[in-house]
Order: sequence, then C-alpha cells, then structure tokens
Amino acid sequence: MYLLEHDAKTLLGAAGVPVPEGCLIESVEALERVQLPPGPWMVKAQVPVGGRGKAGLVRMTESRTDLAALVSGMLGQTHRGHVVGSCRIESCRSAPSEVYIGFMLAPETGEVRVLATASGGVDVESSGAVQSRVVAPEPAALAQAVVELSASAPEPIRHAMIEAGRVLGEIFLRRDAVLLEINPLFVAADGNWLAGDAKMVIDDNALGRQPEVSALLEARASAYVETHLKWTHGFDYVVVDRAGELGLLTTGAGLSMMLIDELRANGIRPYNFLDVRTGGLRGDASRLVKVLNWIAEGPNVKCVLVNVFAGITHLGEFSRLLVQALREAPVLKVPVVTRLVGNGLDEARTVLGEAGIAVEPDLDEALKLVRKALSSQSAGMGGQA
Amino acid sequence: MINPRITRTTPVIMQGITGRAGQSHFRLMRAYGTNIVAGVSPRAAGGDLDGVPLYASCAEAVNKTDARTSIMFVGAEQLLAAIEEAVAAGVKLIVTPTEGMPIHDALKAKRLTLSAGVTWIGPSTPGMVVPGEAKLGFLPDTTLAPGPLGIMSKSGTLSYESGYRLVQKGIGQSVWVGVGGDPVKGVRFADLVPFYAADAQTEAVLIIGEIGGAEEEEFARAVTANGFKKPAFALIAGCSAPEGVNMGHAGALVHGAHGTYLAKKSALEAAGVRVFGSLDEMTRGVVAALRR
Repeated sequence: MYLLEHDAKTLLGAAGVPVPEGCLIESVEALERVQLPPGPWMVKAQVPVGGRGKAGLVRMTESRTDLAALVSGMLGQTHRGHVVGSCRIESCRSAPSEVYIGFMLAPETGEVRVLATASGGVDVESSGAVQSRVVAPEPAALAQAVVELSASAPEPIRHAMIEAGRVLGEIFLRRDAVLLEINPLFVAADGNWLAGDAKMVIDDNALGRQPEVSALLEARASAYVETHLKWTHGFDYVVVDRAGELGLLTTGAGLSMMLIDELRANGIRPYNFLDVRTGGLRGDASRLVKVLNWIAEGPNVKCVLVNVFAGITHLGEFSRLLVQALREAPVLKVPVVTRLVGNGLDEARTVLGEAGIAVEPDLDEALKLVRKALSSQSAGMGGQA
Repeated sequence: MINPRITRTTPVIMQGITGRAGQSHFRLMRAYGTNIVAGVSPRAAGGDLDGVPLYASCAEAVNKTDARTSIMFVGAEQLLAAIEEAVAAGVKLIVTPTEGMPIHDALKAKRLTLSAGVTWIGPSTPGMVVPGEAKLGFLPDTTLAPGPLGIMSKSGTLSYESGYRLVQKGIGQSVWVGVGGDPVKGVRFADLVPFYAADAQTEAVLIIGEIGGAEEEEFARAVTANGFKKPAFALIAGCSAPEGVNMGHAGALVHGAHGTYLAKKSALEAAGVRVFGSLDEMTRGVVAALRR
C-alpha cells in the first residue's frame, strides 16, 4: 500500500517525526471549510507515484486566490496513470540543508538497505550517488547504519541525520514498511529537522496487524482502490483501461498479467486485471457476481473472456457457479467466451453448453472468438447509430 | 550448493497436516508418490492420518523418522513460527505454499534459513516437483512429465500454462521449482543456477518471471558468473502493467525505473538468455531447442 504523502505524514507525525503543518483537500469548495495552516503554502497533488514536481503537481503560493486555482488545476489531472483525487496544502517550509534518508528491503539476504546522504534533491535517488549499508532488520542496526553514513556530514546536519535515522528506522520496522524515504529532510541552522516529503509503502500482508494503517485505508478507500478491494474481498481486481473493450474473468496473477500483455500486443484493449482465486469460491457464486457487475461498469466492454487453468479447482463446479453468476448479474449483456483447461472439463462443457456458452480449451482459439465478438459488436452498434 | 532433487524415497514430514487444505493436499501428494512419513499436529498427536503417524512437534517427527524435508500448510500468521520450529528440529529443505506472509516475517525467516544452511522454497508458491518422483505442494499433474527442462517460476498459473503447453508438445521437466511471487522469499532464481548447471537430466532452463524486484537481473548475472552453458529461456509477465499498481503479486510492482520489463529483458539478453514475448513464442522456441 503506497501511502498518499498526506497519510504517510499523518502516520509519521503521530510517531514523533516533525512534519510541516498541513491538511487534505478533496474539492475546491472544501477550501472554504477547512482550517488552513499558516501560509505561504505548498500545494501538492496526492498520487501514489513520484515525479510530481517535474509534472507541475507541487506548487508554492502566497495568495489564497491562487490556492483555489492551483487546487482546481490539479484535481482530476492524470499523472503516470493515477488520477489526482486530493491535494495536500501545507505550510511552506525550507531550510539551508536538504538531506535524504531511505530504508528499503534487501531481499537477497533478508536485510534492510539503509540509504543516506547529506545532499538531498529531486534527482538524488536516481543519481546513484547515495551511499548505502545493508544491515539486519533491527532498530539498533538501522540507527547505526545512519550514524556511519552521515559520518562526514558537517554539524549540525550530522546530528540531525543521526536523530532522524534512529526515529525513522524504528518506524520502518514497527510499521511493517517495505519502503520509507524522506526526500527532502530539511535541516535548519539550529539543527532542527523536518520531513519535507514522505514516501512510504506498507506491506499489504501486514495490514491485519497494523490497525492504524488499515484505518487510513478504510477512511480513504477511493484513494487506495486496489488495496481496499483486496482487503475487503480477499482477491485482486484492477481496472487497467477505463476505455477497455474486453472484460476478464481470470484466475492467477501471473497468467492474467501475461494475458493482458498479449491482448494488448494484439490490439485488443482489456478493461481489467483479475485474480479471482477460484480456490476461494467454495461453492458460492457471489464473488463472480460481484466481478461481473464491476466489469459491467466499463462503458466500452463488449465481451467477457473467462480464462481458468484449473490445477485443483473442479471445472464442473466452477461452471455451475459461472452460469449462476451470469444469471444473477443481468446488467452484463455481452457475449461470454470461455476458455477452460484442467479437471472436469467434460462436465464443464455440458453445464456451459446447456447455458448456451461454448467452451474452448485452446487459448489462441478462444482469442479468435473474442475478436469475432468484438468486431460483430462494433458492427452492430454502428448499425444502430 | 542448493540441491532440490528429491526422490520417491525421500522421507518428508508435513506441518499443518490436519487442516482442510492440509488433509486434501496430503492425499494428493501421496497419490503422486511423495513419501510422507509423519505429520505434525499438537492436537492430534498420537493418532494417524491414513496410517501416517502424527506427532506433537517437528522435533519429535524428525527424531522418529529421520526426515530432513518438510512441506507446510500453515496460515500466514503462524508461518514464521513453523519455519523456526522446523529449522530448530534439523530440517534442511522447507517448502511453504502459504500466501500472505508478512514481509517482515519473511525477512526473519530468510536470515534464519540462510544462517542455518536450510533451503527454503516459498512463500506464495505452488511448491516444487521432480516429475515421476515426488511433489511438495500442488503443481497440477496435467502439467507434469519427466523431461529435460528445468523450470523456475514466480507465478503458479503462468507456469501451469507453460508446463502444460510444453508437455502437450512432448517436453517434460527435470526439476520444477516455484520460487513464488513475494518480494522476500527463500530460494531465488539465481540460487538454482549452479544446481541446474550440474544436473545431468537438465538440458535447458526456463524462468517464468514478472515485473518488479531484481530476481531476473540476478539470474542473468548468475548465468554469466557460472559460465552456464545450457540454453536458458525466460518469459516475463507484466510488460503493460501500470506503474505503482500491484497486480496480484506483492512483488510485481514497478517503482520508477526499478523492476521494469525492459530492464529485465535487456539484462537477460545480455547474458545470452532468450526472452520470449508470448506463451506461443515460448512454446515454439523451447520445443525447437529441445526436441530431437
């Protein structure tokens, strides 16, 4: 779960990290209602990817009028595939020194990579100039790594880095973070420090033991659509192309990803990614109904491709659930192409055949059927117009 | 060197044998030929499951049977403790299909198994198989056949599809290891390069990777460092995935320039690994290289 900067700063602030005073704005009208922090302000679009500054999504202003214009200009913009749904407005802070501190996983050894440099800046992460230490995932080891990495920094920067590194390292471990980066970390002439930005990714698998983080997720479901969906329903669903024409009812993350890659390479636009986990259905069609209804929200969806490679799942049982789900999700009125392989294929053919759905065990043949359905649908729609 | 080559006589114990999934997979693995000699179940200790004795602890199961291999069907929250118990009992090969293991738990399990010289396969994996010999986990029988190809995969389903297509064309596997789709795991692609290089049955290796992390790049480096002479192939999912969005696997996440499809493809190709653009291309390429 890649936290919005605002949520990351809320978590960090609660854990004793100094952050600039700020608030979250989800509409221009909300500007009138909130208690703004003291100006001048930074207006920062809240999206879970980097590169905001260069895209004009981090702006400074001293005037309240400009504030509204900046917020209104940012909301609704798309940055690297993510729609800006909110802005953080915070007191503009700066300091003579900008430092970078980061913690990330070192998966090869089961350790943590600690990065720190006394000269921060937007390009520091990609510059390759940041020194790092790979150490045991223990608070003392993380703190010691920052002590070593800041050894050549002048005072009072060195002292601030050591203090910030100790606090941040402890939070990284306690919050089940997989990434925590502060860039820039401002250091004032008197040695006081402050997190200017915050990039924090929390392990989705640990949400059950991180109530403060899952509370943020619940509070702002629309900002964390995919994580919230997984947290609530126990499977993965991602809309990958709002204008997509093919809905996917698929199981298995890797196979579904590969299928999307191949469809796109062949000029077909899939609407969604799905790992429905057939093993988790347990004789209940409600998950399939839910998914079909979500797919039906795609304005251009003209066909649904079901692709299940059954390792353990019995395809006869799956087919009965699929037929039931198609009956219970009448919103979806498009052709369904079914590609099934594995256990119980003959029974699946019978069950689906009775419901008027053909089963094609060969994926390439199934894609031909998809292509046919897509082209006849567009022809049909052309005829209506 | 890590050696995952088990046989039909390798004694195996099973942790989490009495759960719903555990019992079902216990029977499926035995039907395939796996020599499960004991189960661990604090509650059902003293009894048996289909004639296989159940013990209260891993240590007791290991002492009574001399098994050094454990397959675990335990929940994500209990997985770290179960791994710790197995390592303390002297187990040397651990396979953990469990999904959803907290990553910081996986860090601890990784350090523990590395320092104890234990081979850990998982989490989030369908397991491993030596076709015709034994299966630890639940790779589907329809995808398996003894043959010359070593398979390693991050994804279960994409490897099923690949294995199935190749078996249809007459290409089976030597040793198939699902390394799993989590970012922090036990065995990684690169770790098995020396094994596949030395394994007489293996004539070529296929890795089934995906975007995110650096395992494919590590594999490329290991191929070069090892002087790996056998043909090496790769299929990588996720070239069209949006940045910053998880597609099912926790490890499959692109941040900026890290973990991208292109970075992986170029590293692999520079090491002489052939990267296929589609399942169909992969099937044709591997078949052409291995069929006689």
